[in-house]
Amino acid sequence: MTSCCTISSSPHSKDPVVFDEYFGLGKEETVSPFITPATRHWGANLTLKSSAIAAGLLILAFALSFFSSGIPLSNLLLAAVYFIAGVPSLIEAIEDLLSLEINIDILMTLAAFSSVLIGSGMEGALLLVLFALSGSMEDFVTAKAKGDISSLHKLSPTKACVIESDGTLIERSIRDIEIDTIILVKSGQVVPLDGVVIEGTSSVNLVHLTGESVPVTRGVGDEVPAGGRNLEGALTVKVTRTSADSTLARIIQLVTQAQEERPRLQRWFDKLSKSYAITIILLSAFFAATLPWFIDTPYLGIEGSIYRALAFLIAASPCALIIAIPIAYLSAVGVCARQGILLKGGITLDALARCNVLAFDKTGTLTSGDLALQAIEGVNGASAEELKQALTIAYALEKNAVHPIAKAIVTYGQAHQLPVVSLKEFQAMPGHGLSALAGDLPVYIGLPNYIASKISAASAEELMRKLIEPQERGELIAVLLIGQKVFLLRFLDTIRPYVRSTLDELRHQLGLRLVMLTGDHENSAKRIAYELGIKEYHADLRPEDKLRYVSRLAETEGLAMIGDGVNDAPALARATVGICMGEVGSTAAIDAADVVLLHDKIELLTWLIKKARQTQKIVKQNLTLAAIVILAASIPALAGFVPLWLAVVMHEGGTVLVGLNGLRLLRR
Amino acid sequence: MSTEPGGDSPAHFKGKDAIGHVAEAQARGLIASAEIHGTETPGHISAGADAARETAVALLLFWTILSALQAPPPAIALTLSLFAFGWLTWKCGRSAWLGWSRLERLHRVLGQEKWEIEHHRSQERSELKELYAAKGFEGKLLEDVLDVLMADDNRLLRVMVEEELGLSLESHEHPLKQAFGALIGTLIASLFCISGLLVFPSYGIIASSLIVIGIAGAVSAKYADNRWIPAIVWNMGLGALAFGCVYFLLDYLQG
Repeated sequence: MTSCCTISSSPHSKDPVVFDEYFGLGKEETVSPFITPATRHWGANLTLKSSAIAAGLLILAFALSFFSSGIPLSNLLLAAVYFIAGVPSLIEAIEDLLSLEINIDILMTLAAFSSVLIGSGMEGALLLVLFALSGSMEDFVTAKAKGDISSLHKLSPTKACVIESDGTLIERSIRDIEIDTIILVKSGQVVPLDGVVIEGTSSVNLVHLTGESVPVTRGVGDEVPAGGRNLEGALTVKVTRTSADSTLARIIQLVTQAQEERPRLQRWFDKLSKSYAITIILLSAFFAATLPWFIDTPYLGIEGSIYRALAFLIAASPCALIIAIPIAYLSAVGVCARQGILLKGGITLDALARCNVLAFDKTGTLTSGDLALQAIEGVNGASAEELKQALTIAYALEKNAVHPIAKAIVTYGQAHQLPVVSLKEFQAMPGHGLSALAGDLPVYIGLPNYIASKISAASAEELMRKLIEPQERGELIAVLLIGQKVFLLRFLDTIRPYVRSTLDELRHQLGLRLVMLTGDHENSAKRIAYELGIKEYHADLRPEDKLRYVSRLAETEGLAMIGDGVNDAPALARATVGICMGEVGSTAAIDAADVVLLHDKIELLTWLIKKARQTQKIVKQNLTLAAIVILAASIPALAGFVPLWLAVVMHEGGTVLVGLNGLRLLRR
Repeated sequence: MSTEPGGDSPAHFKGKDAIGHVAEAQARGLIASAEIHGTETPGHISAGADAARETAVALLLFWTILSALQAPPPAIALTLSLFAFGWLTWKCGRSAWLGWSRLERLHRVLGQEKWEIEHHRSQERSELKELYAAKGFEGKLLEDVLDVLMADDNRLLRVMVEEELGLSLESHEHPLKQAFGALIGTLIASLFCISGLLVFPSYGIIASSLIVIGIAGAVSAKYADNRWIPAIVWNMGLGALAFGCVYFLLDYLQG
């Protein structure tokens, strides 16, 4: 039998978390457990580095091609470009072909390598480099998204302390724990599995699961979900769900499902690119085979049908189309980054531009999540002197506590420089409150029910009656008892600065519908909604309820969801666009979101949505321009009216124009 | 202990008992971590030494053939330089490729082991039991050790990777660093051998390439903790024998 304490440290010197990181990040080479930590950085952003090197070599090759003595060297560099940028594309294209998947990648690779056959290796290399660059950026974005589930898993403990039938403790993997097993959750630990408390009382913080920042009291008979943090006393819990079935596992499942269902626009692009590639490849083959039947041209030679079909294939290769979208998005992403807005993929901007509804989480997003002491009052009236003394005692009681209410009282006490009175016989009742002696006078602070048990029935009734009104206003209450004198301390969640003016701009300038979705209780939500002028709000939502609202709005109207907690992660992933507060946001929420406001500046939302709409406009212009260029170059090239060099110039010229148009977005 | 349905399915053991499966897994691990061809041990210094040795041998043999064909010395030097440039690209790329190939195998084996831990917990426990029983643990102590190891999946995976598969974690250099070693090795060997040829056109390259072969053998031996004198002598002897094969048999070619 082994004690939990003795096995908590690993017998190995190396950090076993390396496996979590490796599998969590999709088996990335940079976190391979087999590679020495000192050399892992050699593999960082490898695709981006290799495409940048290929681009550099291509520029050199192009420059050398103007000098007759430099042509062999230019050809050598071109071969290197084909090796660095072409081999990965070729492998991918062959694998796609073998799995009967015809897509734009195959078309690009085919066009690039075919261009060598008609003496246009430089153009082919350019296609490959652009292709590699866009691919490496895609990898970069994908790598970001992969962190998502791994951070959710990190929240979930992998072990639990099991109490055996003879009372001894043993640590077991949560996978091996069955329903009805008795586990011990110590103070400060995260609840490893869903269960029912069978012994002990404590405050449990469920902020990551429900968004509610104020801890809840859990005692015998109460349910505790996996992922909640036990703040005070030890809890003995009887497991009611296995690890595969726990609350946290369900949230992870929701995020996964939401992510899988999200990229509709991406699917549309994939579908389009597949049809485009098949059409162009089939057309090229068709023209190569049949042109001599219709017009007077041979199969071979520079006027031949095969030559013309290859020229058509290259001219129709979507070089301008491929950069039309990324260049616009990259410029927009760059300017957003300078403003402190991180976008996970430029395509997010397109989706954002089409959103008609903005949904906000409450705690941490519209409000700071910190409580502020609003007022103190005596239940049966009190003089100013009595109130001051009560505050001093409350400050002294809460000075060493960790509860958000304690934090609010301590912040108030420090701001108002309250004197520190000395207390003795200090006692903490986990999940209920605190008690001490101020001189010879017993003092208590805590939940209303806890204080009610310390006073007469009549006083308790009066106390409960007094609580109704502030609770209806959405205020949180702590009760202080000094001798027989009862005081109410009222707290409010504080609204972030600039939120009100930002919401006005979003509503009136941009014509957006605003909704508040929160796991907090109705009264608190109602107060915040009223103060911010939000007409539509939904409170007491569990993650799955929030997800249901978000799914409906995302499907019908296009929804941007702004949130910060783990409970928001599924909704952020499912929304048309998920926006997360970067500083207060949980890792899971940040990972699940498409947009991160790095400095929590909610006032940047108006600017961001305007930029998204401008980006969409420029993307449309670019797509039109690219399509015109492709049509104008490919059809005459096929007909033989436009010589190859002119087709290439038109093709590349269109690409440059599209690029310059996209760069306009760099302006703030 | 295991909650997996069909946990004792014969598919996992494929008709073998736990110890048979452990033995098979260890063999799988050895294959996964082994070098396919090339250096004595993985790492950039070893890759560099190996590349230098092979470069010296290749240049020496090529020079022997060109000399026998009576090519003029400047043409020989230029041809060897061009050859060295192409060879440099090959050695560098090949070294990286070998590293990546090994890494791919190691990652696959790791993935398989993780899957087994997640899906066949009772079998993993049996395998672990065999491994620790062989180390002398028995009875309740053995069961306690198994409980501790089974409690943490990360720890269990590490133990299985290291003890069942016999693999070392965090011990391989990144393939690109290994390739960088090969690049430096090839470059130094090429420059030294061709310099030898330029300074002493008659026999300079023979001496310089044998020196490179000897030094590279010594470096490899030191890196692998082997005896360096036998390494130098064996390597130089092998180089000389390869040279002899070409040099003496060329007489038949020339008639």
